[in-house]
Amino acid sequence: MNAQTIAARAFPLAITVWAALTLNFALPRLAPGDPLDYILGDDVATLSAAQRKAASKEFGLDAPLPVQYFDYLRGIATADLGNSIRYGTPVSGLLAERVGWTLLLALPAAVLSVVTGTALGAIAAWNRGRPKETSVMAGILLADAMPAFWVGMLLVAVFSLELGWLPSFGAFPAGGAEGLNVVGEVGKRLVMPMTAIVLATVGQPFLVARGAVTSSLGEDYIQTAQAKGLSTRAVLFRHALRASMLPVLTSFTLTLGALAGGVVVVETVFAYPGVGRLVFDAIRARDYPLLQGAFLLFTVTVIAANWVSDLLYERFDPRAREERE
Amino acid sequence: MRRCKAPAGAGIAVGILLAALVASGCDSSVEPGTPPGAGHTARLIIGVAQDAGPLNIYTSDARFDFLVELVYDKLFAPSPYVDSPRPWLADTATAVDAETWDVTLRRGVKWQDGEAFTAADVKFTFEYFRDGPANRYTHHVSEVPRIDEVEALADYRLRFRCATPCPTLRDVTMADLPILPKHIWQGVTEPRNFSAMPIGTGPYKLVGYSAGQRYRFEANRNYFMGAPTVDELVFPVIPDQSTMFVALRTGEIDASARPLPPELLKQFQRSAEIKVVRTQALSIVELRINYERAPLNDPSVRLALSLAIDRQALVDTVLLGRGRAASHGYPHPDSPWTNPKNSASFDRQRAGIMLSEAGLVDRDGDGIRESPTGRKLAFTLKVAATEPAQLRIAELLARQFASAGVSLAVESEDQTAITKLFGSREFELYLAEIGPHGVADPDQFVVSQGSGYLWKKGLPYPEMDALTKEYIASSGKDARLDVLFRMQTLFNQRPTSFALYYPEEHWAFRRGAFDKWVESAGYGIVNKWSFLSSESRQGVIVRDPGP
Repeated sequence: MNAQTIAARAFPLAITVWAALTLNFALPRLAPGDPLDYILGDDVATLSAAQRKAASKEFGLDAPLPVQYFDYLRGIATADLGNSIRYGTPVSGLLAERVGWTLLLALPAAVLSVVTGTALGAIAAWNRGRPKETSVMAGILLADAMPAFWVGMLLVAVFSLELGWLPSFGAFPAGGAEGLNVVGEVGKRLVMPMTAIVLATVGQPFLVARGAVTSSLGEDYIQTAQAKGLSTRAVLFRHALRASMLPVLTSFTLTLGALAGGVVVVETVFAYPGVGRLVFDAIRARDYPLLQGAFLLFTVTVIAANWVSDLLYERFDPRAREERE
Repeated sequence: MRRCKAPAGAGIAVGILLAALVASGCDSSVEPGTPPGAGHTARLIIGVAQDAGPLNIYTSDARFDFLVELVYDKLFAPSPYVDSPRPWLADTATAVDAETWDVTLRRGVKWQDGEAFTAADVKFTFEYFRDGPANRYTHHVSEVPRIDEVEALADYRLRFRCATPCPTLRDVTMADLPILPKHIWQGVTEPRNFSAMPIGTGPYKLVGYSAGQRYRFEANRNYFMGAPTVDELVFPVIPDQSTMFVALRTGEIDASARPLPPELLKQFQRSAEIKVVRTQALSIVELRINYERAPLNDPSVRLALSLAIDRQALVDTVLLGRGRAASHGYPHPDSPWTNPKNSASFDRQRAGIMLSEAGLVDRDGDGIRESPTGRKLAFTLKVAATEPAQLRIAELLARQFASAGVSLAVESEDQTAITKLFGSREFELYLAEIGPHGVADPDQFVVSQGSGYLWKKGLPYPEMDALTKEYIASSGKDARLDVLFRMQTLFNQRPTSFALYYPEEHWAFRRGAFDKWVESAGYGIVNKWSFLSSESRQGVIVRDPGP
């Protein structure tokens, strides 16, 4: 793929990014209430008009919206996301502090979700019409229908409260840990939130893989593979599934998008210190700069994932490559 | 080939894990507390429901006083919510005349950074609160009362001169304002953007703060009232209620700074590892009224609606009896500043008569009253979606009002949107809970008559205006109480907020982790007095919480 192609693909992406950035600016301001309401609580009503104006100025909320919008875009261009109103510290620092925790949770969860969903989807397709398919399908759809926060609470009730196997909150012991123990403690605290995310997102790759594999099972090359005497596993995973990888790839990028919402809920239930939890707190506090920064991170991640997926499409599908050429 | 992939994958995972730890600045080297001495506890972990920011008093409201006051001290203690606060940073406070107080300060007190605490700090604090940007404390120095002058007579002596008589200066203002270090705050021009770690004279120093995650305090071993009994306090932020109480049951935290919800009470009371104690919350769950909108601008309609509320049924049905019906009206009956004769009764028949007398009768037979112009007596009641008990209260209120021929539509919104209503006035009715600063502080009650909360400046209310003037002019504490009681009587006859119930709070903590919890009025059990020795807190009115 040459530079011209990449540039041609990048242009619509730039438009998408701009539209998303504009929405990121507008949406928090459309919600009722503003940061002063949260920070000052009922005391906001005790302020005179002049005092309220002074408070707004301190937080940069007194400028007209177009000026705020311009400052916001300029801030993004100069990598200055401003200061969080709630915490009084740079947004970039807060995001940098949290993004590692979210990556640690969300990336393996996304991979696990897609791998599990795809494998089960392929198995369900192979066993189409049989009890095995019905039971797998019922299980996956049940998991998919359960809200992530509820799954999280169930997991906590069973594995923390009843069995006492896993800690119930945080990414790290509240009182601290030392040495290699740190890795173990962090690992233990990942199990339940990751499971909640996987259960909440596994439905989509499952259905996509099941549909794609079902279509390919009727193809001649599958019959050829079977006629060659290949094992079921080889036919299913090396031939049928391989040919169905394109929709699965799409499903992976869509899963990344769904994760942005999923981590907000799951991280809040488990008091996990990632970006999702930061977003939850920022929404409650109407912390505009922090919301804009976090949404920017989500936006760029999802758009970049889609872009990469678009580029990879041609690598997986010769027809797309030929069409371009 | 496959064999190589697994370790590579594991390596990536471990790499991400370690990178996350480094990037997240996780304090893996948290120093455990000094080995406990006699009567000392090394560390307590107490869950808090919300982050309060870096304890900047300009951006933390009264809900977080329990954290703020671990770091900061006041001239008198524990709070304005008791009858006679005792000297704390002050040694004495003497009324020279109706408008003047002389204060001598305790000597030998140090700020947590080692600087000496002097009269200059007190003078600076009062003037900064009076002249600088507004915060929740400022009305105590800029309005009721207005302090004209703070004069440092010597290093440890000051004179306060008020613009009007200020008999409550010692028991209210001096018991409410945290004293700031001048050497740190004098250069701060935008206090709401100040995010440095706080330095106070208090028993604990904030040594670690991860935004939205945790607070870590270390005992101030040089505290002027003696070293605290717990060496280290860690407050992880756990926003989800069920997660918080699971963590308590599993022993991941030692106590919760969030009261136990009524539905979990019996389960926790049965637990062998957890103890539950009860305190009076010194707060009110109230129905706020937009007294500027017709027909709620008619005092007789407001009183009729108040009479239509069966408060005891709310407590019995929704709180399962864990609270008190607000039959004493507003403000909180446990405050020493509240008229014991206040009342808010339930009389549906009288409510009906009063509404009919106001011309509000059911003319079309649909069960809902109408005005003479045919407008239905129907209101929208807004409630925070995050408060399940208040949602149930709202539904029950709708039924009770329906029995009086009033239609109530319940709408839920998020908490910040509800708070916004206070300033925007775009509501008819909404449910809220107001804490001790609002319902147990006499000067705040007076300020609230003009703040927009209980009444609005500029809106005619000659009877209350006259009493407010009388309050401000009265020069003795008893005289003030007399006026205040009359103001409260008038308020409850023409209510602009309906007190519904006085919540009862239950606090859960793990047995054996710590057993010196005490209640301070309005603060529950998680307050600095719990962590001071019994000798240190002598004279401060605290009590053992009830079973």
